[in-house]
Amino acid sequence: MSREVIYEIKNASKRYGSVVALDGASLKLHAGEVVGLVGDNGAGKSTLVKVLSGAHAPDGGQIFLEGKEVTWESPRQALEAGVETLYQDSGLAPHLTVSQNVFLGREITMKGILGWFGFLNKKKMEHDAHRDLEAVGIAVPASNRAVSQLSGGQRQAVAIGRAVAWAKKVIILDEPTNHLGARQAGEVLNIIRNAKAKGLGVIFISHTLPHVLEVTDRIVVLRLGRIVKDAPTSEFNGDTLIGTITGTIQTIKVEGD
Amino acid sequence: MTDSKQASAFKEQTPLRAKISSLLSNQSVVLLITLVVLGSFFQWGSDGIFLQTGLLGTVLDEWGSYILLAVGQLFVVITGGIDLSVGSTVSLSSVVAGWFVVQQLHKGADITGADALPYVLLIAVICLVVGLLVGLLNAFLINKLKIVPFIATLATMGASNGIAVMISVGMPLQGPNDWALGAPWMIGDFQLPVSTMVVATMVITTIAGLFLHKSRFGLYTYSLGSNPFATRGAGISVEKQIVKVYMLSGGLAGLAGAYSYVRLGAGSNTSGMGMELYAIAAVVIGGASLMGGVGRIVGIALGTLVLFVVQSGLLTMTVVQVSPDLKQVIVAILIAAAVAVQTLQKKNGRK
Repeated sequence: MSREVIYEIKNASKRYGSVVALDGASLKLHAGEVVGLVGDNGAGKSTLVKVLSGAHAPDGGQIFLEGKEVTWESPRQALEAGVETLYQDSGLAPHLTVSQNVFLGREITMKGILGWFGFLNKKKMEHDAHRDLEAVGIAVPASNRAVSQLSGGQRQAVAIGRAVAWAKKVIILDEPTNHLGARQAGEVLNIIRNAKAKGLGVIFISHTLPHVLEVTDRIVVLRLGRIVKDAPTSEFNGDTLIGTITGTIQTIKVEGD
Repeated sequence: MTDSKQASAFKEQTPLRAKISSLLSNQSVVLLITLVVLGSFFQWGSDGIFLQTGLLGTVLDEWGSYILLAVGQLFVVITGGIDLSVGSTVSLSSVVAGWFVVQQLHKGADITGADALPYVLLIAVICLVVGLLVGLLNAFLINKLKIVPFIATLATMGASNGIAVMISVGMPLQGPNDWALGAPWMIGDFQLPVSTMVVATMVITTIAGLFLHKSRFGLYTYSLGSNPFATRGAGISVEKQIVKVYMLSGGLAGLAGAYSYVRLGAGSNTSGMGMELYAIAAVVIGGASLMGGVGRIVGIALGTLVLFVVQSGLLTMTVVQVSPDLKQVIVAILIAAAVAVQTLQKKNGRK
């Protein structure tokens, strides 16, 4: 792959007390590339996601965004630098409308003194939310509808659409196809392809291996906090992927270069 | 395409019955109907004295002394929290203000009218500051010591009460007062049921409502109660929002302390006793959910009104004599009824 490396983590480690959650993990992500991050429960996927998204600082290691070393003090910092994360358990605020969710944390305020007091430009946000979601390939439910009135698939589409619409460089999706039917999952995979076409780097974490094999360019396998395999998706099939995850297939530790 | 199909399907099922049921699932409409029914009933049961200006004035005066607490409580409840300290904050703030003016500035109850107005304003400022400090302490306990709001505010409730008793030695602190602030407004000979104080609380309630429903501060209040993880994930500081919301509740409780000072002409360590329960009752009756994420300012304004219409109404009944001691029981019944109605609405409203 000749495209530029957009996001990179080198030799990251993280301990929680005596538990080693991450042990020298290195990962490169190129612009316009979808990387699948897989591993068994407790392999360190969530920890790696938290480090990459700025939620947790690693104990050791370095992070580079577009070649420049960065340290995230908070998820907000990562967001502002263009690294968007969709957490598995966070999602949306059900009592808020679609547009309020899309703009949460990035509201458009009114002009002048009202804006100074934080009064919101509801019309513009509803209009823009509709436009932005449509642009990333989502059949948009009415912007002013409460999220609690949407179906599970629609909610997930809005959540991912929100992340893709805002991401400037990198988007990290933690189990985005969980609990979805086949059709809705297919739509989510399409959104991921759209994000890729936009030139974003995508990290796709999932337990649903057929989805990983379908949408990714490269697969990174984590086991016991270490990256045990990092290879193009074409080198895997369903069986070899499962074997690599569980450790029945021997792997050589990939050194970060 | 699927969207427009859904939209039309959504429209198709709104014949009269669906319209009525959606109207009835709006808490404010239910409360308005309740108010009309109650008003008519008490008007009949009191031989026509209930709806006279004097009595309505009393009801609105009571409303004014509780609405600020209810508004502050609403913000807190929408975030999924609760503030039990507001009643004690009323007592503490009015006592601290009274202590400062009476024992430090040596101004007594003999100062009245326009001469007293600067002192009343000073008292309002002191009350506000005391309330803000109590709110800040609540936020500290919740954010830094990770104590759940119920226990954190229970602790400050006890502490504020104790300090109020210590400062006042259990006696009311009588100071300067401008009684005109609490007097009914007149148009010629016609007496309106509102005073300057009541109008001031209405203005504050309206402003708070605009911020709750139209501003970023309000949006974060809802999102925090609706999904704290999503709120944090959106890069919003949950801790800062908690500080703001509890300081708002405390500050409004402080202003309610000033209100009570002007009503009584004194700061007293009992002036806010039990008020937190009424505030929580008003919020629940007004349609907010203690689970967070739900509640509107109009609902709370009407909910508070229902509380005092029922209380004053029962006491004016001539058809049957009702003991004033029954008040607490009636408030309890209202809370239970409001929660039951909410649960039923949820069952019917969502499949």
